[in-house]
Amino acid sequence: MLTRDIPLTRAILDLVDNSVDGARRMQANGDFNGLWVRVELDRNHLKIADNCGGIPVDIARNYAFRFGRPKDAPLTPGSVGQFGVGMKRTFFKLGRHFTVYSTTSSSRFDMDIDVEQWKAMGEPEKADEWHFEFRNVEENLTNVSPEEIGTRIEINQLYDTVAENFALDNFLTRLKQEMSLAHALSMDRGLAITVNTIPLRHEPQLLFVSDKLKPAYVEKTYPRAVLDGQPGPPVKVKLFAGVAERSLHEGGWYVFCNGRLVIRADQTATTIWGQAHGMRQYHPDFAYFRGYAYFDSDNAALLPWTTTKTGVDVDSPVYKNVQQEMIEISKPVLTFLSNLAKERAAFESGDSTDGTLDQAIQSAEAKRTDALTVTPTFVAPQPSPMPPGPRMQKIQYSKPLVEVEKAKQLLKVQTFIAVGEKTFEYFMKYEGEE
Amino acid sequence: MAGSYRQINYSLRPAKAIERKMLCEAFRRLYPFGKIETYRYVGFGSIYFSDFHLFHRALGMNDMLSIEKDAYAEECFQFNKPYKCVRLDCRPASEVLPELDWQAKTIVWLDYDVKLDEAVLSDVTSVCARACSGSVLVVSMNAHVERDPDEATRQQYTADTGLPFNLDEYRLRGFRKRVGNSVPPEIAGSELRGKGLAKISRRLIHSGIEEALSARNSLVPAEKKIVYRQVFNFIHSDGALILTVGGIFIEAGEQQKFDACSFGELNFVHFGEEPYVIEVPCLTMKEMRHLNAQLPQAAAAALTLPGVPPSDIKRYAELYRYFPTFAEAIFT
Repeated sequence: MLTRDIPLTRAILDLVDNSVDGARRMQANGDFNGLWVRVELDRNHLKIADNCGGIPVDIARNYAFRFGRPKDAPLTPGSVGQFGVGMKRTFFKLGRHFTVYSTTSSSRFDMDIDVEQWKAMGEPEKADEWHFEFRNVEENLTNVSPEEIGTRIEINQLYDTVAENFALDNFLTRLKQEMSLAHALSMDRGLAITVNTIPLRHEPQLLFVSDKLKPAYVEKTYPRAVLDGQPGPPVKVKLFAGVAERSLHEGGWYVFCNGRLVIRADQTATTIWGQAHGMRQYHPDFAYFRGYAYFDSDNAALLPWTTTKTGVDVDSPVYKNVQQEMIEISKPVLTFLSNLAKERAAFESGDSTDGTLDQAIQSAEAKRTDALTVTPTFVAPQPSPMPPGPRMQKIQYSKPLVEVEKAKQLLKVQTFIAVGEKTFEYFMKYEGEE
Repeated sequence: MAGSYRQINYSLRPAKAIERKMLCEAFRRLYPFGKIETYRYVGFGSIYFSDFHLFHRALGMNDMLSIEKDAYAEECFQFNKPYKCVRLDCRPASEVLPELDWQAKTIVWLDYDVKLDEAVLSDVTSVCARACSGSVLVVSMNAHVERDPDEATRQQYTADTGLPFNLDEYRLRGFRKRVGNSVPPEIAGSELRGKGLAKISRRLIHSGIEEALSARNSLVPAEKKIVYRQVFNFIHSDGALILTVGGIFIEAGEQQKFDACSFGELNFVHFGEEPYVIEVPCLTMKEMRHLNAQLPQAAAAALTLPGVPPSDIKRYAELYRYFPTFAEAIFT
């Protein structure tokens, strides 16, 4: 079975992905206000309900509840749950019994499946043929009331380890964190997601902006003909590279496919870092760095994500092409951050009093990526050249703290650096004259 | 910089002293799990060793270990050790706890002077991973939410985040920095106000314990699974707000032993989220003696004391058995 491939939190995220797809089918313009997904889970069950349009009977019949991946699966423009295996994988991973109720504006179906019974009936060697039976199905309805429209899925008779996890507060915290990260963009567009009645909060992607500091922005369109020689919708890519609040764990690249976060704060060769790309490794100096890549297409199969939506397919031509662009727009940002580190080091050692770059980063304002005035390359002040004067040499030594504190008092200075300088000057004044 | 023990004489903090005696009273009830004098005590004795004094004298514990992170002052801690049976380990708890032999029934009191952070949660996890049935874990920490900071700190906040200063966000940011990924994403900065930080700190400790035990129990038969029963949930303030949470680890099959401890008979024992607040009324010696003469008395309302508000009298009636008396004395 495929269920070992995905962590528990991801399995639940797969169900939310299906709801988000519903929202996209319903609202092609991307305005999700008024739409909601309610997730409820405890030791006994997982329930997910939405008002996102329901699952059309033909999708359910031919696609969503069949194993395998039918070649003629219908397209949900810009979908995030493209792989179809998601829902079923989740059902099998979590429990032994599930029910699905779904109503669209013109159809309605429900199913009630006991997994053990169902397995006994099936023919495992013909995995492609596996499918679930509807309990009731109605089509071509004309009088469905809008409040009814939506999907309700409930899984119970949970496996022990699943039940154990669902009872843990920390598991719920992780689930909520992953969910609010994964679907931050959909929530930004108005989709309301709750977990055990608690509304999820999401944080928008921010970058620092000022007169002197502007993030880089690049936009690219890849017609489908270029990607696989077929006619159809293109892949559109938007890239931002810049700086934001210093954070060792949050620095790096973020990659979204159709609004779904697939890579978070990447600090590896998967994006831009390290020798493989002729770049430096991620480093604490770069903890200010943020890159955001948004891939969008009405044909989700063209996007460079993996089936688990936990990474990108680094070998796909579209990703390789975009990755090159990501590297190029990152370079000026990383140069700026290296210079900033040098400037600070020079300032701390007393070799320079210049704080131009530091000032630029400290005085910038955090702005949402969708509200930025953009430039094609990163804008930042140049580092000042080293000040004229004699070549300097740093001295370092350790002395007992009590004595140093006493010297600090006697010299009437505030810092240990000043203690070092003043004592040196004192020595030179009396002994330095030849 | 000297440790907080040089700024405050811990033995002079009345609420802390009351809490210590309450813990002691509760520990007495552990006998269904084993004689209390056979338990090991692990604590942070500082230079005052107030907890070691009390538990040695009142409970007869004599296998005692004090953990002290300030290795520079080892001489000072060694000198102040009150009894021969107290051992000292001058390393951080994160290094000491994983090396202890956890076969012995143990009372661990991790009495931090810092706020909840990842290191605290990690120490808690260490204990949960190994502590044997009948062992007790108590954790104390500062739960005082940050005051409105000075102008320089506000400006630094804006420089760091690129956002205008906001006290709730500033507090939340600090909290997230300390505790990291354990903070539930729905927590808003406004929830940390007042006693909010104490409330969420207790929740995170509790969740950390539950998760650690879940991992520990994953391959253990049902009746042998270790469960945690919260017994203590105090907040008090001798200046800064302090949270103390704790409980006992038992095997799932030992619920009867736990029931036999009858912790519920102690009015300060709180099994749930709502803390027992230790509020110390300020009374003179004469007033206390006057009340003592009327105590114990079922109805606090019947107690009389001229010029003292009934709420203070009621509080004293709840606490009097644990009440410390400080007096100036000259030893010659």
